[in-house]
Amino acid sequence: MKRRRFIRGAAGAGLLAGAGLPSVCSGLAAFGAKPNLSRVEARYYDKLPDREVECRLCPRKCRLGDKERGYCGVRENIGGTYYTLVYGKVCSLNVDPVEKKPFFHVLPGTSALSLAAAGCNVNCKFCQNWEISQVRPEQVDHFDLPPERAAAQAIESGCRSIAYTYTEPTVFFEYMYDTAVQSKRRGVRNLVVTGGHINPEPLADLLAAVDAVKVDLKGFTQEFYTEYVRGELQPVLETIRAVAKSKAWLEIVYLVIPTLNDRMDLIREMAKWVRNEVGDQVPVHFSRFQPMYLVKNLPPTPISTLEAARETALEEGLRFVYMGNVPGHEGENTFCPGCGKVAVQRVGYRIASIQLKAGRCDTCGTPIPGVWT
Amino acid sequence: MAASRVVIIKAGNLWTSTGAVDPAVITKMFARGFALLTGERNDAGALSSLFRPNDRIGIKVNTIGGRALSTRPDVALPFAGWLSRNGLQAKNLFIWDRTTRELRDAGYGTSADRSGIKVFGTDADGVGYETGLVSHLNVGSLFSKIQTEFATASVSLALLKDHGLAGVTAGMKNYFGAIHNPNKYHDFHCNPFVAEVFDAPPVKTKHKVSIIDALVVQYHKGPSYHARWAAKYGGLIFSLDPVAADTVGWSVIEELRAAAGLPALKDEGREPVYLATAEKMGLGRADLASIETVEETVA
Repeated sequence: MKRRRFIRGAAGAGLLAGAGLPSVCSGLAAFGAKPNLSRVEARYYDKLPDREVECRLCPRKCRLGDKERGYCGVRENIGGTYYTLVYGKVCSLNVDPVEKKPFFHVLPGTSALSLAAAGCNVNCKFCQNWEISQVRPEQVDHFDLPPERAAAQAIESGCRSIAYTYTEPTVFFEYMYDTAVQSKRRGVRNLVVTGGHINPEPLADLLAAVDAVKVDLKGFTQEFYTEYVRGELQPVLETIRAVAKSKAWLEIVYLVIPTLNDRMDLIREMAKWVRNEVGDQVPVHFSRFQPMYLVKNLPPTPISTLEAARETALEEGLRFVYMGNVPGHEGENTFCPGCGKVAVQRVGYRIASIQLKAGRCDTCGTPIPGVWT
Repeated sequence: MAASRVVIIKAGNLWTSTGAVDPAVITKMFARGFALLTGERNDAGALSSLFRPNDRIGIKVNTIGGRALSTRPDVALPFAGWLSRNGLQAKNLFIWDRTTRELRDAGYGTSADRSGIKVFGTDADGVGYETGLVSHLNVGSLFSKIQTEFATASVSLALLKDHGLAGVTAGMKNYFGAIHNPNKYHDFHCNPFVAEVFDAPPVKTKHKVSIIDALVVQYHKGPSYHARWAAKYGGLIFSLDPVAADTVGWSVIEELRAAAGLPALKDEGREPVYLATAEKMGLGRADLASIETVEETVA
């Protein structure tokens, strides 16, 4: 269900345009494929003595000798200069409903040109896309899609936005940033789907170039991040705060995994934190887990657990709380906080109805925050 | 006791006038090392105590460091040649690493000759990684098909280096090159990951012997090459105990560091703690006091 599909030969112009989704393949590269990696100097790193470098892109701060790669596997020290190996090297490209990201308060009912390059700076044991995120770039099929071509592709495909998604876009920062700048000039919005492991400096630069950020808050304890994410909670919370303070729209997703991060007291604590730190208007999505990657011994999240999580967050005062991966459930809908009527009705990734005018409830006129036009 | 024997073989006339190593001397070093390791009097006997005649032997080298700092071709090729002259079939011998490019950069001429010794990377046509994840303790990886399918027996023909994160990289960590995602296993000084990758069935069930190329040892600022901290130690280290081999390798690095006036790895907070973990897992001995180290120089 969640396998991201790879479009063979999409470097050819206009492959997506008007053709719907082509027949595609996914996963690890056929061997014999030439690596054809990029060698574009990375941003946010320091050169150190003895040809060492220290990356400043994410909180890991990888310190690397010559010929070594960072934890992400896609940035390499070559002779004392740090390079991104995945600039414009797209391993997954699709036209997706924006609701699939999920963004529920951003251009509902529109499509997002969704792309990824290989790599990730954490290693979630429950990763839904590990075949492209937990590999090195030479291990997956990819093709060249320069920033200006990505922007053109979005327009040709009828997409209002480009979403940097599927893997961790932080690790292909340079490509994401340049693509955002290019596409913004052409009126295409830019949406980032991230785990939030990024340092403040690159994040600030990114936020000036993009329109919306969805942060995957994978749990609410450091223990969970240590054991199941191989990352740090605090930098993710800092990222959420920074996005909330910026002009970019923020949504938060919390994948609820049975027995691992589904304690209601923690979910309540998380909801309080969201309300107090970034406000009750920030949409929070509780998504349903499916067994994947290294966590195959747990069942899908019971719908009752998602309902309880949603109820808990609503009790804590959050205004827009959703359930994800439960098509047809009323928890997919946006309810007006003023009159309680359905403002946006969804069925899976489809929009059934929109009762909004200029960002206000059609029925009572209450403003509903988001990027609606 | 035998399982924790570590043999160090040196040679007085190892280096030629051009700075290369003499393959005939290297071959003598292998022969003597295996004899001391197995207690067998002749070469074929030593090898038959470890391998079956029809074994397909994967010789995993470490070539990430380029020509300056990799398992040397003039060590690996004489070794494979010696195996083929002593009861093992040349067509069943694979010298391998992650990529063919890294092998070439390290000075290997790659070959897929059906009848001869083969040299190629996991990325070669028709090879690749398994598509099924091996999930073992804290490790979740795809293993090279060379390790899982091509080879019935495995030799870690590693390089001895200081490592900024792991402390020491030698025979056990060499198998990081058998998985698709080694970059994910360098946290916490690679502990427990080095031990756990080794303990995973594709390695543990096939590994037969650790041989560490310590002809030139990078004893500081590794794993990259820095001539200033690279010493001609001139030894090959052999053991059937993978933990003991690396533990002795660590002691060699400490000797060289001390001689250069550098602090011990522990004082820099980066001793190879994965060795103690490996010992706890029953993979071998990590205490020098419980390791019998035999050192000999061949003529």
